[in-house]
Amino acid sequence: MRQGHKLRAAVLLLAGIQSLILFAGFFAPYNSTAQDRQLPFAPPTRLHFFDAQGKFHAKPFIYGLKSDPVNAGAYTVDTARSYPIELFVHGAPYWIAGLFQARIHFFSVEAPGKVFLLGSDGYGRDQLSRFLYGGQISLLAGLIAAALSVCLGILLGGLAGFYGGWLDNALMRGAELFLALPWLYLLFAVRAVLPLHITQSQVFLLLVAVMGLVGWARPARLIRGVVLSAKERNFVLAARGFGASDRYLLFRHVLPQTSGVVLTQIALLIPQFVLAEVTLTFLGLGVGEPLASWGSLLSSLQQYSVLSSYWWMFLPAVLLVPLFLAYYMAADALQERFKSVSL
Amino acid sequence: MARASLSMWASSAFLLALFVAITCPQALAGEDLMVTENPLGRSGGRIVIGLRSEPKTLNPVLAADDTSRDVIRCMTADLIHISRETLKTESALAKSWNVSRDGKQYTLHLRQGLHFSDGQPMNADDVLFTFRIYLDEKNHSPQRDLLVIGGKPVDVRKVDEYTVRFNLAQPYAAAERIFDGLAILPAHLLESTYQGGGFAHSWSLTTPASQFAGLGPFRMKEYVPGQRVILEKNPFYWKKDRAGNRLPYLDEIVFLFVPSEDAQVVRFEAGDTDVLSRFSADNFAVLEKQQTARGYHLYDLGAGLEYNFLFFNLNDLSAKGRPEIAKKQAWFQDLRFRQAVSAAVDRDSIIRLVYQGRATPLWGNVTPGNKLWIDTVIPHPAQSLDRARQLLQSAGFSFKDDGSLVDPHGMPVEFSILSSSSNAQRSKIATLIQDDLGKLGMNVHVVSLEFRAMVDRLLNTYDYEAAVMGLVSGDADPTPEMNVWLSSGETHLWHPEQAKPATAWEAEIDRLMQQQMVTLDYAKRKHLYDRVQEIIAENVPVICLASPNILVAARDRVGNFRPAILDPYALWNIEQLYLH
Amino acid sequence: MAMKYICRRLVHATLLLVAISILSFALLQLSPGDYFDAMRMNPQISAQTIDGIRSEYGLDRPFVVRYEHWLVSVLKGQFGFSIAYNSAVGPLIWIRARNTLLLTSTATLLAWFLAMPVGMWSAKKRGTWGDRACGVATSTLLTVPDLLLFLCLLLLAVRTGWFPAGGMMSEGAAPFGFWSQAKDVAFHLLLPCIGLALTIVPMLVRHIRSAMIEALESHFIRAARGHGIPETRVLYRYALPVAANPLISLLGFSVGTMLSASVLVEVILSWPGLGPLLVEGILARDVYVVIGVVMLSSVFLVAGNLLADLLLLANDPRVRVE
Repeated sequence: MRQGHKLRAAVLLLAGIQSLILFAGFFAPYNSTAQDRQLPFAPPTRLHFFDAQGKFHAKPFIYGLKSDPVNAGAYTVDTARSYPIELFVHGAPYWIAGLFQARIHFFSVEAPGKVFLLGSDGYGRDQLSRFLYGGQISLLAGLIAAALSVCLGILLGGLAGFYGGWLDNALMRGAELFLALPWLYLLFAVRAVLPLHITQSQVFLLLVAVMGLVGWARPARLIRGVVLSAKERNFVLAARGFGASDRYLLFRHVLPQTSGVVLTQIALLIPQFVLAEVTLTFLGLGVGEPLASWGSLLSSLQQYSVLSSYWWMFLPAVLLVPLFLAYYMAADALQERFKSVSL
Repeated sequence: MARASLSMWASSAFLLALFVAITCPQALAGEDLMVTENPLGRSGGRIVIGLRSEPKTLNPVLAADDTSRDVIRCMTADLIHISRETLKTESALAKSWNVSRDGKQYTLHLRQGLHFSDGQPMNADDVLFTFRIYLDEKNHSPQRDLLVIGGKPVDVRKVDEYTVRFNLAQPYAAAERIFDGLAILPAHLLESTYQGGGFAHSWSLTTPASQFAGLGPFRMKEYVPGQRVILEKNPFYWKKDRAGNRLPYLDEIVFLFVPSEDAQVVRFEAGDTDVLSRFSADNFAVLEKQQTARGYHLYDLGAGLEYNFLFFNLNDLSAKGRPEIAKKQAWFQDLRFRQAVSAAVDRDSIIRLVYQGRATPLWGNVTPGNKLWIDTVIPHPAQSLDRARQLLQSAGFSFKDDGSLVDPHGMPVEFSILSSSSNAQRSKIATLIQDDLGKLGMNVHVVSLEFRAMVDRLLNTYDYEAAVMGLVSGDADPTPEMNVWLSSGETHLWHPEQAKPATAWEAEIDRLMQQQMVTLDYAKRKHLYDRVQEIIAENVPVICLASPNILVAARDRVGNFRPAILDPYALWNIEQLYLH
Repeated sequence: MAMKYICRRLVHATLLLVAISILSFALLQLSPGDYFDAMRMNPQISAQTIDGIRSEYGLDRPFVVRYEHWLVSVLKGQFGFSIAYNSAVGPLIWIRARNTLLLTSTATLLAWFLAMPVGMWSAKKRGTWGDRACGVATSTLLTVPDLLLFLCLLLLAVRTGWFPAGGMMSEGAAPFGFWSQAKDVAFHLLLPCIGLALTIVPMLVRHIRSAMIEALESHFIRAARGHGIPETRVLYRYALPVAANPLISLLGFSVGTMLSASVLVEVILSWPGLGPLLVEGILARDVYVVIGVVMLSSVFLVAGNLLADLLLLANDPRVRVE
């Protein structure tokens, strides 16, 4: 019973976060590429409920920022004008899932005020908006790559485990090969070879495909293990005795037994591939400017000056934690649930 | 009477020699040391300097990368040196020289009585041997091409033990400057290796210290692979200070290998290194906060010689077969398009956001740091999107309702800008330009490639549309950069190695550059080069953007630290550095 | 029996290494640009000179010829020639390999020393708040990208001054004597070791925990408890050997993860190992250095797997029968 609760909680949390990201355009006050060159590296905007006279406002408000004349690069709060936070504001147009266009934003402030709940980056772009839009790309990358990996893993691992013999040997040696190469650095070479005329989205898809194709080895080994023991089970032997074809056995009896492993693997692989996308973009191999992805948000931390001076640039990494926690919780719950089902 | 005066001369000579021997215990008999004008310092101590990568070789003839050259420069000396402070030539191993009237013959008189770091004497034979090695094509020295003037290699002859004559095929304005950096090699050590054909493997990092000999302030002591190189004081160095003390002051220099700029900043801050040379403006802000607390000082020297620019692919692509790019070249080759792009770029933001204000905006290829050659008449228009739109419209482009730009044939204007992934500043510049051009309705994407892949596209395959690059001149004089501006040049980035000039203005630049190369009078050369700068600013084959300031730092205990804007910025006077 | 198994695995390993070498050679050949392209941006060097240097080093010969030359050089023990360092690759690699091995083996030991007790305790206290807190902590650590972790450690070192900011030995007066030198190296080893260990500790804890849980649920454990055997003995003498099987394969597998993470650590914390050599080699297109380092890491990986397989052979009698 407890497992059921855990799984349900994890799935709810995941659904919540994922819908936040799906509707990034609605929840984000600005779009991901809007630069504000007067406010690079602005700290997170503080919300005030009490104004200078001590009066309470039910609607929180913010103050503007102006450059600190003494400290280059720092800002002082400009209490001359306050900007209340407005809900359901008309703003820049955005697309929902690439199909619908809308203009309403969940919250915003009147121009020329700027609300940077997570601060701004080196070009004055709002980090919160970039985090939400970036999630679209990073999560999609993780999902596609995990799906690719697992499909390949089922195909190759299933075949290897079911037929055994030289096929099994060959595939397992291949898996070792794939696990042994330092793919990260050879991916640099692949990136350099790509022709110039592919668009950003094509680059992105290509890299995701490469990540997924390269990552088949681990799920394949696990699935092979399950298939090896699954094909020896009594009802499978019985079905074979009744003259069932290989294909029937595979699809009807053996592969369904791998469902537990497959689901757990998916739940584990998605965060791993999201992290892989983050690392790749970090090293310059992922989506380029000005598209936002979680990796590009964190890549500015590579510079020592950003790392030591602008603490809010760490926040996207902090926000990833609950998301990954939800995935790991789901994976744990799935593992326990299917453990009790299989031997 | 004569005999008495003879003995008097003899005894006074003897007394004088004794006096000299006592007061200048280190000066050997007959040495013609150079006297430097720096403030006096004390002997002893060592400083630690960070290097961004490991030196690849210690052979001056073969070294091609900056790190190797940095270390080699401390161990070797040249005949005529370019002073990093004044940017003019000064005497070094050659005490003086005469130029023939036609400018084709240079006679250099060497300092007498100098010794290599192993104690062996130096004379004209070493100079002859050195130039033979540099000019030998089999050695493939990167510096050989400097010595090929007017299509013919320099002819070097010995006149006597301390005089060497150089014959050039044509008068060459920058002739004195080619000697800077050409290290004089010891014939006694390398002759046999050279004859035996093993020169290409000599003087590598693993060569034992006793097999090195140079005329620089320091000599090799120890190399620990992957960690550091240690140099020790050269007791035979040929410079002394005004008080007669032989330089260098320091006992040892330690070059530490610290693989990235950020790591160098970290270690400097932590006190591991004493000198930090050329770091970025972001790190300047970080280091500034702790200056007094941690006992070091930062120096912002103003504009250096580096210029960053955006340029378009103007190559003739008919042979290469790149139809996509060829279609877009119709835009790139239109002067008004390039001028519009130049008008749309927000140079102010580049200075502020990329360089934290520590850079100078550029509209021409010569930076304000090059005071001898900059043309101050070139206009500096501010960013103007209106003017850009006007220019585009006059070129036949039009704006659609959603603001996007289309060319006269209705094709939307869309292209990519290449930038090097290893240079964070240039990538940032590309992103800012992308946003600026977006306001003009152009759809620009930034493609970040690794440096060598980018060079391959720029110079081999011509598979690019636009790129952001930077060049740093090794010298203020325009002649070393000829290959960039000559239409036949290999580094004529936007359209290299033309058989004949593709445009009238490129032909004009060719003519002017060839002329300044052989004009010996500075004022006339400046006039010619000014005209070149104006043509470049008018026709914008390269849209110049900004020149970063030279930023260096040193611990307070390092004395005589006088950084300059020419490479090596912090260490050009390493023999004069001392510890308080 | 065991000998045949070992021989078979060795043959497989050699074939694998050959395949890796061909693949890496091919991939590097594909990437545009070579070492001398950097010189082409220098207006003072002519393309002719560069081409001359290029053919000196044999970079313009076809792929197969170069691969052959490289194989011969490997057999001679030189592992090719580094264009950048102007020397054979072999001597370059040995010293740095020693440093990397020092780092990775210490980090592996540290990681297992940390993970074992935590994992076992977590398995024993399964379902309690302590276990849940542990789960949250490991998941949190898992979500932090390695790069970020190392950068934070670097920041910590600089700001607090508790750790040296990089390198393997102090540049001050070189310490004399074996023990003071060893202490110096150990002091510099601390930070990279901690960072590297932290990259795999969460994964180890999770796997140890699940392996122990599985072992603790089996029937014979219940029987042992029923016999009245004390809990600690049950844990260490009965459950652990059974749980050891997947953990041994994990050990072999973690060698690979350690090696790739060690590249990042070495670059960020300036540890003079194979990492900076590899990165510089890739950026400079110093082909033979890159292949040499890749081959060496593959050898370590394959050796790690082989070791794990042998340990498995020793530990689990069932495998011997197969």
